[in-house]
Amino acid sequence: MSLVKSDPNPGPAPAGTLTAGSVLSVLSIPLAIVALMVLGSFVSPSFLTARNLVNILNAYSAVGLAAIGSTFVAVCGGLADLSIPANVAMGALVALGAQTLVGPVAAALLGILVASLGGLVNGVLIGYVRINPIIVTLGSGFLLLGLSQLLVGGGIVYSEPSAFGSFVAGNLLGVPVAVWTFFVVALILHIVLSRTPFGRWNFAVGGNYEASAASAVPVRFTRAAAFVLTGLLSGMCGVLIALSIGQARPIIGAGYEFVAISAVVLGGTSLFGGRGSILRTVGGVIILALISNLIVLIGLPTPSTGLATGTIILLVVAVDAYLRRRTGAE
Amino acid sequence: MMRLNIGTIGNVVVRYRLLVMLAAVAVFGGWTLDDFLTLTTLQSILDRAAVVGFLALGLTPILIAGQIDLSIGSIMSLAAYATIALQPDLGNVPAAFIGLGVGILAGVVNALAVVVFKVTSLVATLATLLIGASLALLISNGQPASSADPLFGLFLTDNFLAILTPRSVLFIGAALLMFVWLKGTPSGRNLYAVGSSMPAAISAGINVNGYIAGVFVLSGFCAGAAGVIQALSSATGSPIAGSVLLIPAITAVVIGGTRLEGGRGSSLATLGGVVALGALTTLSEYNGVPSYTQAVYTGLILILLITLDRIAGGDEGKTTRTLRSAAVAKQTQQGGTS
Amino acid sequence: MTIRRNFLIGAALSALAVAVAGPAAAASVEGKSICYITAANSHFYVTPTNEGAQAAADAAGVELTIVSEEFSPQTGADQLNSCVSRKVDGILLWPLDANSYLPGLLKAKQAGIPVVAIDTTAGEESMKLIASFVGADKYGQGQISAKQMGEALGGEGDIIILAGQAGNNTTIMRTDGFLADKPDGINVLATVNADFDQQKALVASRDLITKFGDQIDGVYAEDDAMAAGFLQALEESGLDIKPVVLGIGGMKMAFDAINAGQMSSTIMQPPFENGRLAIETLTKVMAGETVDAVVPLENTVVTKDNIGDYEPAF
Repeated sequence: MSLVKSDPNPGPAPAGTLTAGSVLSVLSIPLAIVALMVLGSFVSPSFLTARNLVNILNAYSAVGLAAIGSTFVAVCGGLADLSIPANVAMGALVALGAQTLVGPVAAALLGILVASLGGLVNGVLIGYVRINPIIVTLGSGFLLLGLSQLLVGGGIVYSEPSAFGSFVAGNLLGVPVAVWTFFVVALILHIVLSRTPFGRWNFAVGGNYEASAASAVPVRFTRAAAFVLTGLLSGMCGVLIALSIGQARPIIGAGYEFVAISAVVLGGTSLFGGRGSILRTVGGVIILALISNLIVLIGLPTPSTGLATGTIILLVVAVDAYLRRRTGAE
Repeated sequence: MMRLNIGTIGNVVVRYRLLVMLAAVAVFGGWTLDDFLTLTTLQSILDRAAVVGFLALGLTPILIAGQIDLSIGSIMSLAAYATIALQPDLGNVPAAFIGLGVGILAGVVNALAVVVFKVTSLVATLATLLIGASLALLISNGQPASSADPLFGLFLTDNFLAILTPRSVLFIGAALLMFVWLKGTPSGRNLYAVGSSMPAAISAGINVNGYIAGVFVLSGFCAGAAGVIQALSSATGSPIAGSVLLIPAITAVVIGGTRLEGGRGSSLATLGGVVALGALTTLSEYNGVPSYTQAVYTGLILILLITLDRIAGGDEGKTTRTLRSAAVAKQTQQGGTS
Repeated sequence: MTIRRNFLIGAALSALAVAVAGPAAAASVEGKSICYITAANSHFYVTPTNEGAQAAADAAGVELTIVSEEFSPQTGADQLNSCVSRKVDGILLWPLDANSYLPGLLKAKQAGIPVVAIDTTAGEESMKLIASFVGADKYGQGQISAKQMGEALGGEGDIIILAGQAGNNTTIMRTDGFLADKPDGINVLATVNADFDQQKALVASRDLITKFGDQIDGVYAEDDAMAAGFLQALEESGLDIKPVVLGIGGMKMAFDAINAGQMSSTIMQPPFENGRLAIETLTKVMAGETVDAVVPLENTVVTKDNIGDYEPAF
């Protein structure tokens, strides 16, 4: 159990005092981002241009939404959602496939709704039937991705040209709509997680399930809701990508479950519950985006991304664990 | 009363899940195909079970100890590549041993990350999954190594005693050996204690860290063995050999009945899980069922089995126990080392 | 739902063609069984290939069982063994690497089951056990692209390569073929794996444009979807350059881009046709006819000049 509170969120863990360790823990993400940016400015003169910085954010905005959902899942002790790629695919395919039937806006909403239903299946089985989240989302991932492939066979679903489609794919005040979406959603859900009863329930459920249940926290609802939210955000992720590239295939979200988990973990949110914040996950997403940008700018082979990401995860988490032990011993 | 009935039926299905699945496959296969219920089919199912089987076997003690290892597929890729790429320099047999060594080494890295650096296994092995997959592609420059001596490993898939092949013998033998270790020796029983309750295991004087380190090294070794067998029997060291096998391996272990919560499981159940899934796949292929349809019913079976297990078992709080035991593990490990 | 299935018309036409042309072969293979080990069930290129194979099999009256490797040669090698144990009459194999299928191919040989390879060639040893290869020459596609690039740039210039998945056979052949015939004056600034995925190509291209900007004289995309990703990134950047963009596949998006003058060329690789031709070749082998060791799918380059003569392959 965490003895140091490194974020302002109220939680069931006893509040610790401000120590050197906790200060470092708070500053570690901004420091890592600054370090990567300094590296970038040495690597390429065009790194610190507005366009490149916008591109960096744009590349990871969509998958960042799934990472935000995964933060709720992790905080409430639901480990991880492995069905993210399936829900991304469902959202994307429905959002484009239904365009001719109901129009682009309703189709996008329908895509998000269908993905949320995927999340609801997870939520009911995990929250109410109380089955291990890894197994449930493994199973529902098989099921939903299989269904999405069944739906389209081997085809590519193309987007119909529409004002809505161009708006989503375009810019607002010089910044891509996808980036706006990511930051607005992150801000709203940061407030939800840190300032509302629902947010507090998540920390309580993840911190101590039995005690929360005893003190009238709706434990089942909370855990189920975290998975529904992740389904919904995965659907949004799929819709954003599909509209911005104008086409969708079932593999559209392949590997996104690991990107989302990596961002959550890099941000210092524990996958075992009770500790974490959306702002930290946003930091994790930015770090991943910087790594992938720098790999190309430096000119390293593409597979190096995994090596860099994995090493940074190990370092960050091992240092975090060390600091926690030290402060715990003090 | 109604609840009891569902519970009873669920209990029976869950307990004999593998027999139920195999019987269903046999009946359906015999009904839809003329050539399904033959010894050749059985041989083919067992042969195909061997590689994913070794991955699943390695995962079994890991899950019993309440840990997870996501890096097995990447380890397998590294081992497979080493086994073939080093053949010209070292000779076929030494290269195969290096392949196994690569697996053990990777297991040691995981063990260090989890036991010494206190990174929880889910996160540590996610990181080594990424690192291993990346290393395999970087070292090989993305190109599979083709053996100059392709006939060397072919015997692994040869006919042996009508229903077996040498590699399925290795897999079944390993599963039996592991069964004896887990159920018949003190150290095997201690492992269940570690997975059931870490504080209790510590107070009983069990070297918890030693056991956890041990299962990661064992899992690395099994992934290495899977890589070596795969590489030799296909004469190819592919840097992506194991990338698609992590999920099937976890699925097979879970369908076999080993739980992610720790403290429960058996290598024979894993053997059964791998064979049952393999039989289902073979039946589907014989009938030309598309892979996505197979994914749909694999998902349904997984969810159905685990739901029945939950209803029949009725032990509330299992999910939370994992979470808490993981948190406790951190605490106790801190206590153990400081 | 707006799944574009341009190949449907092709399906009808070629089914007709088979019906007219193929009675001689059909007479002797009717009722026989073929095991088709394909790369995938759900894929924008592989699925139409499978449909072409199915159409030809239906026309010839053979029973076709399609099993999917899901892009894993290990799975495919196991499936090959299974198909041989089932004692089918013929096997159509989509090889995903050089050697993995060798054990199964040896067993097929022993059992007297003919094997035809589709889309990709396997290794030298394996090809000795395969009656015929039906598909496009992917190494040749790389070579053609290198020549196109050389001509378009007058033999000199800086280019980037958008490659498929690392480790993938098609990626390796298209890259190696290109590098082998690339004029010395053509300098590769960077090679990035964008996994045949438009979104990944878009993201990588943004970064490449940031890094190299107006240095980029040409882009060799190993499929049209990645070329489309680059063009989108270029448009976003507002950079005033007109690099030579080459794609492969003959996808609809490439046709649009060539017509709009954004892309220089693509190479047709019609999937339905490939599947149909492969089954026809295999049934010939099964009927005891001799076939060529290579039945090529012609690498037709489509540019602005001849685009009117072709329909998108998929």
